[in-house]
Amino acid sequence: MIAKMYKYRWQYLMILPAVVLLFLFNYIPMLGIQIAFKNFSIGTSMWDSSWAGFDNFSFVHEPQFWTVVQNTLYISVLKFVFGFPMPILLALMINEITHPFFKKFVQSVSYLPHFFSWIVVAYILQSFLTLDGGLVNDLIGRAGGEPIFFLGTNEWFRPMIVSSGLWKEVGWNTILYLAAISTIDPQLYEAAKVEGAGKFAQMRHITIPGILPTISIVLILSIPSLITVGMDQIYPMMNSANQEVADVLDTYVLRNGLQQGYFGMATAVGLVSSIISLLLVVSTNTFSKKINGEGLW
Amino acid sequence: MRATMLERIGQWIIVILLVVMCVSIIYPFVYMLAISLNTGADAAKGGVYLWPRSFTWINYEIVLGNQVIRHAYLITIARTIIGTIGGLAITLAAAYGLSYKRLPFRNGILTYILLTMLFSGGLIPFYIQLFKLGLTNTFWVYVIPGLFSAWNMFVMQKFIQGIPEALFESAELDGAGPVRILIQIIVPLSKPMLAALGLFTAVGHWNDWFSGAFYVTSQNLIPVQTFLQQLLTAQDLSAIMSSNQNQEVLARSSMDNITLMSVKMATVMISALPILAIYPFLQKYFAKGVLIGSVKG
Repeated sequence: MIAKMYKYRWQYLMILPAVVLLFLFNYIPMLGIQIAFKNFSIGTSMWDSSWAGFDNFSFVHEPQFWTVVQNTLYISVLKFVFGFPMPILLALMINEITHPFFKKFVQSVSYLPHFFSWIVVAYILQSFLTLDGGLVNDLIGRAGGEPIFFLGTNEWFRPMIVSSGLWKEVGWNTILYLAAISTIDPQLYEAAKVEGAGKFAQMRHITIPGILPTISIVLILSIPSLITVGMDQIYPMMNSANQEVADVLDTYVLRNGLQQGYFGMATAVGLVSSIISLLLVVSTNTFSKKINGEGLW
Repeated sequence: MRATMLERIGQWIIVILLVVMCVSIIYPFVYMLAISLNTGADAAKGGVYLWPRSFTWINYEIVLGNQVIRHAYLITIARTIIGTIGGLAITLAAAYGLSYKRLPFRNGILTYILLTMLFSGGLIPFYIQLFKLGLTNTFWVYVIPGLFSAWNMFVMQKFIQGIPEALFESAELDGAGPVRILIQIIVPLSKPMLAALGLFTAVGHWNDWFSGAFYVTSQNLIPVQTFLQQLLTAQDLSAIMSSNQNQEVLARSSMDNITLMSVKMATVMISALPILAIYPFLQKYFAKGVLIGSVKG
């Protein structure tokens, strides 16, 4: 065994940095979960801190925590309801374009927002929606309406999150579908034309069945992310005026942990959401094995 | 003929919808550019939609004269280059080492890597680990924790498995060791895959504001996106004027009635321009990259 391992010494050496990095930045933080059950303060060792039982989990009695859970689910379900079908629709529309240059142009433009940060997206929203000189309120004013403070009200927060999410990712998410469409045998379309099938019939009976496997894979892959609502997107747009609906699990952990120093409690909240997402992944995998005959791994 | 009539209408609807989408993506940048090139007080009156009404460079002069932004740019460029090259090297080395099927403990190591994709300790234990390692408030906190990517490694592994084994065998017969095979065979053959994964890694570094906002406290270490994030919620111009050394520009700016919004727009345009400028040249890589990533490992 040792001789065999020695034979592969170079390979082990190449794998070693990865193993060490994962140990330092993934496995030690997993051991750090014990902080959730301890009286920990930064500057001391988590191993020396005294046990606190489930004291850090008392957040479950706070109504604020349940508001946060509700917000998280609300936003992630909304994002899924719009974010899942739209790329399919867009891919079908792009596929109908016959002009090659226009098609390439539309694709290139639609991928562009993916490469900008959520901070840039927040700036775009701010520039359009601000009260002093923003385009939208400017137009509302000219039409004789009352200006709306979009960025600082509860009711406009969710529409802004959903629409900016669509704006940023819908084009990027068509790539998989367009690739699936390009693998469909062109002879199928030829045969359909001979049979007298129009464009709509071709889409319904050839294109959509052709991308159905891709749709189901994307659907399955998107289930585990239902519990996390990208702090990246929420945090830049959250402010004291809309916090009531904007606060999600990730921002709750961030505020209580990194900003206010309740490390034990914030770790406990993080642990709960990690366990839920693990359960979602594992059950999705089991489900996918039953339906598709193979799992995610 | 009614069907073709309907189809034609359908075609036009699709074209119109896609043009609207393209405009909705391109227009915000045109708008922000116009605002940033307009004198602030004038832009705040509204009505600047497509091009500046009262043209000025002052907003850009203010932004570019700011020491913190200039330094933030250097930080962003440095972390993007070091993080991308280092990340690709470490991840590719691990992927290649693990592509040897007879490597002892191969499955154990693969499971060790896979588990980190399923479960994490959460933000707080991760932060505490960064703190204990002395990485917080250093430049390396941007680079080291992200050097190895499990996801990218599985993509690379899939790719390496597609390279004909005869190539390795003949190289081994010629006396080439694993390190030489990696550098002289794998790397040249994987160039398109490395370019795509490198692009995604680089964009991730370029757009990351989170680490700069929460893992460092020194203003000398923040990257551009974190500067933008701080400026997003700024209430007045002090953040951008205080560290400005160009007295001449400062003197002129007080006459020109600059506003927070116009300076913000200039800052965000400066962060967006590099991506807009290289975007057309990168097209061919990323569509391919997503497809490599979508093949299940």
